[in-house]
Amino acid sequence: MSEIDPKLLEVLVCPLNRTRLIYNKERQELISKSARLAYPIRDGVPIMLENEARELEADEKY
Amino acid sequence: MTKTTSQSANETTSFGFQEVPVAEKASKVRDVFDKVASKYDIMNDIMSFGLHRQWKDAVAARLNPRPGETIIDMAGGTGDLARRFKKIADRAQYRNGGDPARIIVCDINEEMIMAGRAQRGEGGLEWMVVDAETLPFEDNSADAYVISFGIRNVTNIPKALREAFRVLKNGGRFYCLEFSKPTDDFLQSMYDVWSFKAIPKIGGMIAGDEQPYQYLVESIAKFPDQLTFKKMIEDAGFSRVGITNFAGGIVAMHGAWVIK
Repeated sequence: MSEIDPKLLEVLVCPLNRTRLIYNKERQELISKSARLAYPIRDGVPIMLENEARELEADEKY
Repeated sequence: MTKTTSQSANETTSFGFQEVPVAEKASKVRDVFDKVASKYDIMNDIMSFGLHRQWKDAVAARLNPRPGETIIDMAGGTGDLARRFKKIADRAQYRNGGDPARIIVCDINEEMIMAGRAQRGEGGLEWMVVDAETLPFEDNSADAYVISFGIRNVTNIPKALREAFRVLKNGGRFYCLEFSKPTDDFLQSMYDVWSFKAIPKIGGMIAGDEQPYQYLVESIAKFPDQLTFKKMIEDAGFSRVGITNFAGGIVAMHGAWVIK
């Protein structure tokens, strides 16, 4: 399982509203607070598609 | 061709020669590339008699990636073009110094990205799964955007072009390599025979399935000609759009500048 390149996180924004993303290392997800979505990172590759993202729970901490 | 500007339920778009609902095109295209991912590079060699390598070399030379630049290789698939960019940028960096270039391979198809990394390694490139219509990059953040044999598979092409314009910096470069229209009638008739009769059969033998290659040749025939596509690029905001034909117009490279 390869780690995501930290430099990659600098350029990425949420594709839906272009806000900054929060990296959750344990879950390997990129979280968009404003879109309430978590984009998965699989084998070090960010999957920046809305239909692959997980909706955040109402009370979810990140 | 069918223009799609909004995504209402009844609207359709072309999927090869078929009309399909707008919402279904992306997943249908994804199925096509899922089926061919592992044989993609070898099929390109066969379909183009190896010429696709020269066309890609020409794009890389024209783009001339420099150290420190951020370059988006959209629909970059297995990273074929991005590896060329990396080589040129690294050589320039070795001679002149500067920061490494950042070359980001983007594709909507996860299978293609994973196949590229597995077969030929990460190669110092950055990889991600991205929809060309909704790019996950800030405005004015990239020096160059390249899309090679990808734009005709995008559902809403004008939207993808506007996104490319948005993420490019002032002075940024845009290059698109795509199948186009042969300028000569005889070449066109030969090419029709080759693409409609031969390519699906060869695809069936090599990749084990004719269907994806039937789609490929149909989508090529449906794609707008050089001047129509040039107009679409201009409509997205780009300046000084130039056209370079390869193999008598079977393939064309459109290049453009961003002046904001």
